[in-house]
Amino acid sequence: MTVWESIEEFLAEPTTWSGPGSIWARLAEHVLVSLAAVVIACVLVLPLALWLGHVRKGSDIATAVVNIGRAVPSFGILAIAFLILVQMGAGIGEPWAVLITLIALAAPPIFTNTIAGIQSVETSTLESARGMGLTEGGVLKSVEMPLSMPLIMEGLRIAFVQVIATATLGALVAWGGLGRFIVDGFAQQDMGQLIVGATLVGLLAILAELGFSAAQRATTPAGLRASR
Amino acid sequence: MMLAQEATPLIDWEWIGRNMGEIVDRTWQHLSLTAVSVGLGLVISLGLSVVALRWRWTYSPITWVTGLLYTIPSLALFALLVPIVGLNATNAVIALTSYTLLILIRNLVAGIDGVPGPVLEAADGMGYTRRARFWQMEIPLALPVIIAGLRIATVTTVGLVTVTAVLGLGGYGYFILRGLNTFFWTQILVGVTLSVALATVLDVGFVWLQRLLSPWARRTG
Amino acid sequence: MRRAFRFRAVGAILGLALVAAACGSGDGATDGDPIKVSSFNFNESVIVAEIYAQGLEANGYEVERSLNLGAREVVKPALESGEIDLVPEYTGSVGAALGVEQSADPDTMWEAARAAFEDLGVTLLAYSPAQDKNAYVVTAETADQYGLTTVSDLQPVAGELVFGGPPECPERPLCLQGLEEVYGLQFAEFVPLDVAGPITIAALEGGEIDVALLFTTQGIIAANGWVSLEDDMGLNPAENVVPAIRSEVADAYGDELVALLDSYSEALNTEDLTEMNKRADLDQEDPALLAGEWLAANGFVEE
Repeated sequence: MTVWESIEEFLAEPTTWSGPGSIWARLAEHVLVSLAAVVIACVLVLPLALWLGHVRKGSDIATAVVNIGRAVPSFGILAIAFLILVQMGAGIGEPWAVLITLIALAAPPIFTNTIAGIQSVETSTLESARGMGLTEGGVLKSVEMPLSMPLIMEGLRIAFVQVIATATLGALVAWGGLGRFIVDGFAQQDMGQLIVGATLVGLLAILAELGFSAAQRATTPAGLRASR
Repeated sequence: MMLAQEATPLIDWEWIGRNMGEIVDRTWQHLSLTAVSVGLGLVISLGLSVVALRWRWTYSPITWVTGLLYTIPSLALFALLVPIVGLNATNAVIALTSYTLLILIRNLVAGIDGVPGPVLEAADGMGYTRRARFWQMEIPLALPVIIAGLRIATVTTVGLVTVTAVLGLGGYGYFILRGLNTFFWTQILVGVTLSVALATVLDVGFVWLQRLLSPWARRTG
Repeated sequence: MRRAFRFRAVGAILGLALVAAACGSGDGATDGDPIKVSSFNFNESVIVAEIYAQGLEANGYEVERSLNLGAREVVKPALESGEIDLVPEYTGSVGAALGVEQSADPDTMWEAARAAFEDLGVTLLAYSPAQDKNAYVVTAETADQYGLTTVSDLQPVAGELVFGGPPECPERPLCLQGLEEVYGLQFAEFVPLDVAGPITIAALEGGEIDVALLFTTQGIIAANGWVSLEDDMGLNPAENVVPAIRSEVADAYGDELVALLDSYSEALNTEDLTEMNKRADLDQEDPALLAGEWLAANGFVEE
């Protein structure tokens, strides 16, 4: 069977389009867990990062966090999280181990880029804002955040794309997601399934990339945009 | 009555002692997969950077393609290469090399671009040929940025090598996968810890390399 | 120029290191090359592979291990292409993979599989009396609830049950594919897990799946009071453990190597496998240690 025939066969199967193992189900699982991971990572690190950036501390911590984050293999975190959860009684096939791993993956770029973004606002600008009577909170909200949007968005973009790609590893610990098609396709020597799965994840990642680039442009304050 | 699956105590030191040989073997495997992939990536990136610097319009498509490669999940790329290349180190290296290209090219180009104009003019004034100027002036001055890129590429690759365990390789990832197959904590922890250690050692190594190759940076602080 | 020299020196060292790292081993086989022993990705396979590996090493052969390589979809091509040299196989399953007729008679099954594999450059040596077949396992509660003792008993209720097994299961003639064709079973859902490993075991314990694919030699089945459904329609052929070795390697090393491996096959039996599996699965003992113990207990190596 050629590769094309295998793809056709896979796409022709009814279970590909309906049921728990369908493209829709796996896509939904994948997107939901990716989104949840990024959102939770934001909730966890944004407040701290915004504050650290505002008081102009923590750029060393930021660099260290990103370096450590990059040095720890996601596959390893996944295995550890999975084992802990199973021992705690979590069910097989639940997404928690994957979610924890993805949060750990998303947090560093969001953290670091937010600090860098806030700190990139020139002190003279801040002084003008304070001079105009803004409180510290006001400075953060009305001046620093809008001006650092490009970098914050950049962090979110990096995080989201990495999370989408890494969520495929969840299939190695009996979870679903689009990685399921890759792992099962490989195990069953079903090239159609494998290629469809890989293509879908790739497309999803590209979509996220493009979407966030657009969001980056949209949230860049008009004044900054003009000078870009 | 169900007997629950118990996992072993956290670190079985005897296991580590018995398996030192395997640990050493996997260290070489991890190191060589990383070194070959980053090395190959550097060579390819240098070539592509020269092209991009000479013909500026190519930078965008080059970044686009390497960026595209970067978004393909490693698991997918390894699996997709199997029918083409087989289940071996070549497969792993091709995929791992692809992932280094984006960051290396970006940093090579940014680094070279960052060399101040006056310096280039001075070199021209001193009679350097374009090639001599590139290799003896621009590259050395761009070194900090280039090495920053090498650090990121290397550390990222060390992490990705663990995933090659699904191809029967894995370096330290072999212990992670095997530990997952048997719910054996020691193996997983050994795999993760050594992977982090290797990444850190290589990272620090690059910092030293940079200091070695840019003594002037040290002097100016 | 000092600077330029420094670059060139570093560059040369890095280059040499890369070349050294990239140098792989050659192809073909001479009796100087190490024997590459591999295994599938479940405990029993690792144990038997370790028996071969440690036994060979004790007799002066040089051995390279790449254990836990993967499922047969990965291991068989690696064996055929020479990436690995020796793997413990199962006559029935490898026969199914080779497309030969299945038989419950050990001799017949072995003959058929051997002939087919020979064409691909792999020799199946003498088979062991030890057999390990696929087991279709339910918990005692499930067996009581639906009155299950044989696989056929699943026929009226399969549509309500969830089947869990390795990801390759749906395509395997002795797994879901066979259960469908021979028994007409259509399960409600298939959940891909691992190869009869702790994930599958945990899933059966936790109720995420109702029927698990395990192996008949897994002592944990009895230990947990689970029910291994009887294969009343004879889906499973004979599954004797047999060393699969690349013909080139067997020829290069000659009769001594073959005789050594034959001696291990002869001494290995189903009870041994079951006991070792139980200790590996339940007590988390190290497969390599278990193999060493077995070799010593059977007089193949010194204590």
